[in-house]
Formats: sequence, C-alpha cells, structure tokens
Amino acid sequence: MSKACLARASYITTRLRSSKSKKAVCTGLTAVLASVLFGSFDGQGHADPTPIEGFQAPFVFGRFTVPADNPLTEEAFELGRNLFYDPILSGDNTMSCATCHEQARGFTDGRARSVGHNGEELDFNAMALGNLLWGPQLFLWDGRSPSLEHQALQPLLNPIEMNQPLDALLDELSASAHYQEMFDAAYGEISEQAVSKALATFVRLLISADSKYDRYLRGEIKLNDQEEHGRKLFMAHPDVKTSLRGGNCIDCHSQFVTAGFAEGFDGFSNNGLDPDTDLKPGLSATTDYDGDHGKFKVPSLRNIAVTGPYMHDGRFETLREVLNHYNEGIVLSSTLSPLILEADNEVADPTQALGLQLTEVEIDAIIAFLHTLTDEAFLSNPKFSNPF
Amino acid sequence: MKTSRILSAFALPILIAAGGTSLLAESAREESQGMVLLRGLPTLDTSHSVAIVELDPESENFGKILSEAEQPDMAEPFHHLYYSPNGRLYATGLDPTCSLAEIGLVRDSSGAPQVSGFECLDTAGQMVGEDIMWTTSNGSEYMFVTFMGGLGGDDGGSLGVFDPQTNEVVKVIEARKSEIAEGAPYIMYPHGISAFEDRMVISSTVHPDLATGVGNSITVIDLNTLEPIQTITVEGETPIGFPSSPVEVLFARPSIHPEIEPAVMVNTMFGFETWSIPYDAATKTFGEGKVIYSGTENGTGVPLEFYGTEDELFISHALPGVVKRYDLSKLPQLVSSGPDIVADPGAHHMIFFTSASGRDLIAVQNNLLNLGNAEANDPTDVDFIASVNANTITVHDLETGERLGTVNFKETYRKGVENVEGLFGSGFVHHH
Repeated sequence: MSKACLARASYITTRLRSSKSKKAVCTGLTAVLASVLFGSFDGQGHADPTPIEGFQAPFVFGRFTVPADNPLTEEAFELGRNLFYDPILSGDNTMSCATCHEQARGFTDGRARSVGHNGEELDFNAMALGNLLWGPQLFLWDGRSPSLEHQALQPLLNPIEMNQPLDALLDELSASAHYQEMFDAAYGEISEQAVSKALATFVRLLISADSKYDRYLRGEIKLNDQEEHGRKLFMAHPDVKTSLRGGNCIDCHSQFVTAGFAEGFDGFSNNGLDPDTDLKPGLSATTDYDGDHGKFKVPSLRNIAVTGPYMHDGRFETLREVLNHYNEGIVLSSTLSPLILEADNEVADPTQALGLQLTEVEIDAIIAFLHTLTDEAFLSNPKFSNPF
Repeated sequence: MKTSRILSAFALPILIAAGGTSLLAESAREESQGMVLLRGLPTLDTSHSVAIVELDPESENFGKILSEAEQPDMAEPFHHLYYSPNGRLYATGLDPTCSLAEIGLVRDSSGAPQVSGFECLDTAGQMVGEDIMWTTSNGSEYMFVTFMGGLGGDDGGSLGVFDPQTNEVVKVIEARKSEIAEGAPYIMYPHGISAFEDRMVISSTVHPDLATGVGNSITVIDLNTLEPIQTITVEGETPIGFPSSPVEVLFARPSIHPEIEPAVMVNTMFGFETWSIPYDAATKTFGEGKVIYSGTENGTGVPLEFYGTEDELFISHALPGVVKRYDLSKLPQLVSSGPDIVADPGAHHMIFFTSASGRDLIAVQNNLLNLGNAEANDPTDVDFIASVNANTITVHDLETGERLGTVNFKETYRKGVENVEGLFGSGFVHHH
C-alpha cells in the first residue's frame, strides 16, 4: 500500500470514528515554529542534502528523536517552508497551511475554530505549532497521527479542510521547475513521502527558545515580582496542609517545555470542560478506549498569549477565562483528570475540592508568567516566514 | 551579568573523540546515563573531563563514554556536580583557580546532550568549592556554596551566598576561629550543607591540604540574618587519631518524609560515626547530639554521603566500600531496610535509575579522594587511610544489592572517577 493510500485510509478511519459522535476533522497542518538558535540555514540546493549546521536546542527541553529516514537537512527545511506557505497544497489553490497557522499568532489563526476551503467551520481550534520535537509524539487534538510525517498530509486530504487529492498535487508540483529543483535537492524525487517529510521537517524546526522565560532559565535576566509569583504558582500543586498555594499548571504542562508529557498517552487529559453527556471522543477516537473519552492533547503553552482562543474547541477567548475555568469552572465527568479534580487551595480534603480557588492577585500573576512565554524572535523570525 | 575569572565565558570545550557523538545519538534512553567527572592521571597522561556514561548493564553500551569534554586546564579537577532547580549544571572545583563553575549543556540535532562550555565563576576569592544547596532566605532564593578553603589561611573556610540567576556573590559568610571571641560560633573548612526552615547547617571538615587542620563540629547559620549562630561539637571515637572531621550533613525534616522528627544527621569522616542532633522547630533549638552508628563497632570507616529515595536513606562508607540502607520514615533513627550494597573501596556518590527492562538500580562511584601523591605523582595512589580509590562505578540491583556490572575507569579510560550524577539529576533525591 502506498503512503498516499495509508494517509487516505487514516483519514477515512478517522471520519468513521468521528461519525459516532460529532464529525472530527483535522485541525490543520501542524505548522512551523522557527528556532532562533540555529543560525546558518541557507537551504541552497545541493545534490546531497546538507545536515543542519549549528543546531542547538535547550538541554532542559529534554531528549527528542528525529526519524532516521527523515534527517534534519537544510534542503528539507526550505522545501517544507515553501510547501507550508504555498496554496498549491489545497485542491482549489486558495489555502495554504499558513492560512490557519500564522507565524505572528504562534502559528494559529485567531479563530475559535478554523474554517476550511469552502467556508465550513471545523470542529477544532487550530493547534499552535512550536517545539513539537518535545511533548506528546502523537499529533492533533485527539492524537490520531503517530508522527509529524503522517500528520502533515491529514489536512490536505480532508475534504473540509484543504481537499487536495495527492495525485493531483504531485502533478502540480511536477509541473513546477521551482519544486522539481527543491525536491531533487532534498529527497531526489517528488512523491507523497517527500511532501510529508518536508512539511514535517519544517514543523520540527519551529523551535521557540528565546522567550523571557527562556532567558530567565539561562540566567540572563530576572522575572519581575509578579512574573516570579506566577512562575511559582505555575510550578506548584496546591497543598493546604503545608500552606503551599499553587496553580496546578505543571501537573499537565511539564516544567520547561510547558507541553504535555511525552510518554505514551500521558500528554492527553480531560480538563473538566464538559459533563459526561457532552464529552467529545477525544483520545478515545484513537485508542478506542472508553477511559480516554473527553481527553485531548495538552498543548505547549509557549506563545500562549498570542494563540487564543483557547481549548480544543476555542471556547475561551482570553487567558483570564481559562484561569477562571480552572479556578471555579471545573465540570465533573468520569474521565476528569484526578490531578485537576483534587487541586484546591482552600480545601484540604481532595474529595471536597471545588477548584483552584486562587485569588485575583494570584490569577493575575499566573497570567503575567504566561506572557513571559511569548517569544517575539520566534514570532517574527524571517526563517519561518512566507518565502514567496 | 555573569563574570568570569579564569576562562572566557563558555569557551568551547575540547570534545574528545571517542566515537561519542554517534553512540550518544543512538542512546535515546537518558535515565540510565550518568554525568561523570573524570580525573586525568599525570602518570597516565590523561586529562580531566566531563563525560556522559551509559550505566545500564542491560545496554550494549554499558560502561561506554557516550560524550566527553575536557575540563578547563587546571591542576585539580571539578569535584561535585549539582543541577539547579532550573536545570542549570554547576560544578565545584578543588583547584583554587576555578572553585565554582557553570557547565553549559545543549542538545544537538540528534537530540543528544552536549557540553557546550565551562564558565569559572567569580567567587570573591573563596576557594575549594564543595557542596551546593539552593534555598531561601527571607523569601528570596539563593545558591549557597561551601568553600573548604574559604579565603585562605590556616583556619579558613566560608559559605558563599550567590544570586541564583546571575551567579554573582551576594555575601561571603566567614567566621574564623582565630578572629572571633571565645565561645562564639565559627566556620572552618565547611563541606556538607543542609537546611530546614530558617536554619542551615554546615560541617567543619578538614583543611584542603589535609595537614594544617581537621574540624570536629557543625555550624548553624540563621537564614534570616545569614550569620553563624551556633557551633556544635560532633566528636566521639577517634579511630585514626584525628578529630572527627564531619563531612556530609543532612537536616532530616518532614518535607523528606512526613513522619520524620527534625534532626541534623552528620557523618564523621575520621570518626567513622553517624550522629544525630535533635532539633525543636518550635523553639529553634538543637538538643544534645548522639552517635547513632559506630563504624568501629560495625567494621566500616569513612562514612560519606547521604542519599535518599522515596522510602529509603542510603549512606556510603568508603571502607570497606559499602552502602548501608535505612527506612526513611524512621529518621533520625537508623533502622535497616535491607542488606548492605557491597560496592568497592571508596564508595562515595550514587545515583538511582531504572534499567531498560524496568529494574530499579543504584550506581555507586567508588573513589574517596583523588588528592595526589607527590612521590608517585599519581593522584590515585593516595591512600592516606587505606585503600579507598577503586576508580570504579559499580551498578547494583536496588532491591537485592546484587552487583550487575562494574566500570573500571582507570583500566578502561586511564582516569579516576571523581563524581557521578544522573543526567539532568535523575538520580538526585534530597542529597541535602
């Protein structure tokens, strides 16, 4: 079976699963965030792909792996960047990946739910693209893509999103001298595999690592008092018995990357948005396990201040609404995360927990800290911008 | 904001070719990798280095150096490794020219960690760094470092207080016995460090030259004022005729385990004993210390480190080279929780991790002191008490103590092994 067939099969399977409840669709191609750390990145065409030179990622982000059959090369990155911004990837040549993943918005689109090629609203909020080398290595809100290479083709194939038959796309690309040259330099051929690999490479190299928080972690600056207060709250699970107040954020958003945990399905959670009767399948659509009902991917909070609206369905417009949810709006359901269920700054008995019960000052502090995760260099890095 | 005294900031280290990069790229499972300080041996023409070593006996790379970077050109190597709460890596150093350093770490395009450089920090003249602890004083966090040589002299020693962000010296806490009033608290040759609430304790160990003087006490620091407020003598038996030389200290406290009654535990390097000094948190007073373990009665000597897991406390004894284990919840009483882990002479630092198959393991670094021998000019030849430098890391099943593997660094790499830490602190659990 060809990769194109596999991709289509995956899409069809997803559609069948989704039809059990509400239609689930791809939220858009996982996009690209650029690292400010690798400086020499020219992407000149070469017969032999050029390994990325000068690549450095923060040690504390943790180990990552790159598929052996798709190493990071300058040619692949540049090809992926071109494809990402090119409307040629949609069936009617009106939409590119960047339509729903704008760099200045942390590669999101500012909408609660993205809109497909024909104007139809999708079920999900466009996921931010950044630091996807880390965090859960299952992609899309319900984790149905086991790799970035697999994920890359899902929005293209989705008839509501980009509605691009791969055979037709390959014909269009083959007709372009520009792409013939780029594909030849990166992969030696124009193919579905090369398209997915190039897009995956571009997305992998969207590394955000120069926010105020990063500079704080490197010891270059200090946070102000409010940000530092927020950082401490972010990192703490509340414990009334020891008078430790906490925002409980780190229980799901790991300490430095601020994404969900990478191990297995640990990076998926039901964060108390809906009662059982209204829960969407979420991860269970991928695992076919009832205990995963209503669990969605825990996203990275890098650049969170510019990636609203929030949650998988974009129901919250502002960070304050998000904090208010965790503070007093948790809805009980059978798969609600126990880490959220028992987190309360005022009630010692976890079975009686009511929500975080943070003060307004504490909420403001956490929001101030979240703003330190904005990486202006990343949001404006020309290496990640539209090359056309 | 950083200052550099000896080396230019983050000068590129010399990466040592060992096939390391490719091995490291293949070794994505990092929890079993140790960050190891290696000491070059003059007679073997090797250099001091920082290395990442695979320590899972189930791995085909067991004992192999996955990555290695030469330390700055110094006579004495780095001595201890510590990760800050924000994941920055620091090393204390025996060489007066670089007594405290920050080690740069990055990840390359394979995801593998690489040492990107070293920065010797300005210590305001404080020498021979030993232990580091991050804790708060009046609500602000600081990095506290013991300097066994302090600002120099026969009765020197200091506790350096550093800004944890900028690494700048905030205060040098010093109280020389020769300069204070009779009976006033003093600081001399500090090494161990631990803290609970607003009280910190540091030990008085031995002059760095091992000849000028030996300590026999711990000193209490008031973290509100950052001043020494009490010195407590910790001395019982003298099996080798020296003062007790308290080395590592652990302020046993409820945050380690909720059932613990607060007390300061002290290992005496030359007294071969472990002491317990009760602490009343309500009155902030220390009671009378007592011996809770006697090496002379139990056939062990030179107790060194305290390490802990969620439910056990481990104490290393360089002689004969064992790690004893105790029920953490029973502290400060030492209630055995299992058989000794029989390591090698010089049993010292340790890390905890799991094997690829999920087996719980402990790795023990077996070298007491690599202090050199003038006659042989070989640091590993020094045996001022007995044989305490095996130059090995031994790996054992944590539950049974069974030895599963041994890495002999002198035989394999022609170097001594100074310290082991888990890569990104995976094996580091309330060391202080």
